[in-house]
Amino acid sequence: MNAILPALSVLFAVFATAVPWGLPADATFILPLVVVMMVFCWRVLPGADLSPIAAMLLGLLTDVMSGGPLGFWALMALIGATAGGRAPKLIDGQDMNRLWLVWGAVACGVAGLGWLIASLYFLRWIDWWPIAFGALASIALFPVVLHGLLWIRRGRLKPGLRMLYGRWT
Amino acid sequence: MRRRSSPFKPRPRRSWRAPGELLNFTLYFLCAVLLVLSRIGHNAVVDVRDHFVDLSAPLLEAASAPVIMGRHALARVRSYVGLLDEIDRLKAENEQLKQWEWRAKLLEGNVAHLRSLLSAVDEPALHFITGSVIADARGPFLRSALINLGRDNGVRVGYAVINGDGLVGRTVDAGASVSRVLLLNDLNSRIPVLVGPAGVRALASGDNSAELKLDFLPDGASLYPGDEVYTSGSDGVLPRGLRVGTVSGSPGAFKVRPHAELSSLDVVSVLFFDTPALTSTDPPADPVERSLSAMPEDLQAPESASAPTAANEPVPIGEPVTQTGAAGDVSPSEGVAQAQQ
Repeated sequence: MNAILPALSVLFAVFATAVPWGLPADATFILPLVVVMMVFCWRVLPGADLSPIAAMLLGLLTDVMSGGPLGFWALMALIGATAGGRAPKLIDGQDMNRLWLVWGAVACGVAGLGWLIASLYFLRWIDWWPIAFGALASIALFPVVLHGLLWIRRGRLKPGLRMLYGRWT
Repeated sequence: MRRRSSPFKPRPRRSWRAPGELLNFTLYFLCAVLLVLSRIGHNAVVDVRDHFVDLSAPLLEAASAPVIMGRHALARVRSYVGLLDEIDRLKAENEQLKQWEWRAKLLEGNVAHLRSLLSAVDEPALHFITGSVIADARGPFLRSALINLGRDNGVRVGYAVINGDGLVGRTVDAGASVSRVLLLNDLNSRIPVLVGPAGVRALASGDNSAELKLDFLPDGASLYPGDEVYTSGSDGVLPRGLRVGTVSGSPGAFKVRPHAELSSLDVVSVLFFDTPALTSTDPPADPVERSLSAMPEDLQAPESASAPTAANEPVPIGEPVTQTGAAGDVSPSEGVAQAQQ
């Protein structure tokens, strides 16, 4: 069960992105970016196994659900998986802020690339505000998602908090 | 000088032929290929997507049910909060509507008299079917929604989709049990419209924002904020006279604010409006099953599909609806009112 837990949790998030939440038009980029963030988080958690292939397939499913071009969110999820694989693993006592900074850079990169690909796809400049807003929101949500995933992994939050804030506890 | 450490791991000096790197490269390449195939609209990509969406439809429908219930509960709470103000507003509106009702009856009589003098041919009844939104599109590409009505219900590509407030969009994909609706504010949406009492012709284009742009307005056209915008029907795809929205903005940058709240759609109706223009968007794969001249009832596969029931039979406008799809709790008169305008 532990082996498929990351993929299952991201799969759940993919379906959650497709559900009609009634969010305003400017907030439409947030939910799929949460999927990419979850992929990134699972890759930085030691012992968790979410392969790039699984990440890409989950991104592909996001594409199918969203009705957008196939390959877009697959590419974003793959970038998240690659960045997560190369980022420092979250070990006990490590400061989470550093990882947060890394996700900030990845989110900005993904948003910028997404905007560029979308503009190339339609051969016109896409409105950048919803994408920037989504990236900023995902950066703000990073600790919440990371805590959530640690809770999923451990079944309870306390050890996760020690992992994140061990330096001060 | 001390070197600052990067938060990223030092990249191992591995050959790109290493299995992991090669796999990553292949996956990135695959994504790029899929994007290109999607851009050119390859049939295989479209078919695979439709197939997956059809397969996942029951799951999406089940997942969206509690969310929709939550939204309804939230809306109810909001309405309770502003109940007294709402009652006052409705009373004032009711007084206005009584006056409009009297005027409408008067005009109806005049129109009927003039039509009889001209021996005008009555317009054919417009059929529709009602369903609910089960998924939203998220991302920079599309503003679309997935509804729980498909080819089994007679829905085809190109049909207009409305809700109680006005036009919502049109169907762009139709699977067996679900269809994808391209919303008015999508980047690819172009709707020929008539604006204001003078009926100025223009094109309402989506740009992924909440409002639509008004393009190709004739020089010197006199528009005012608040003017009604409705479909012209000149594209041969959408029926004429569907409410779209009202004019907003200022001269030189007029926009259309849609009547329908496109970001929180719930129950929608699909209008069965068959025209020859649909042949370009919905080529018949099976001449019998997808015949353009066939009525929606005839589109049901006679062997595999069951006989039309109250839930999936298209309902002519003006006739009472007992139950329509998953939207049995919604009055069909909303759709009727829209379609008849």
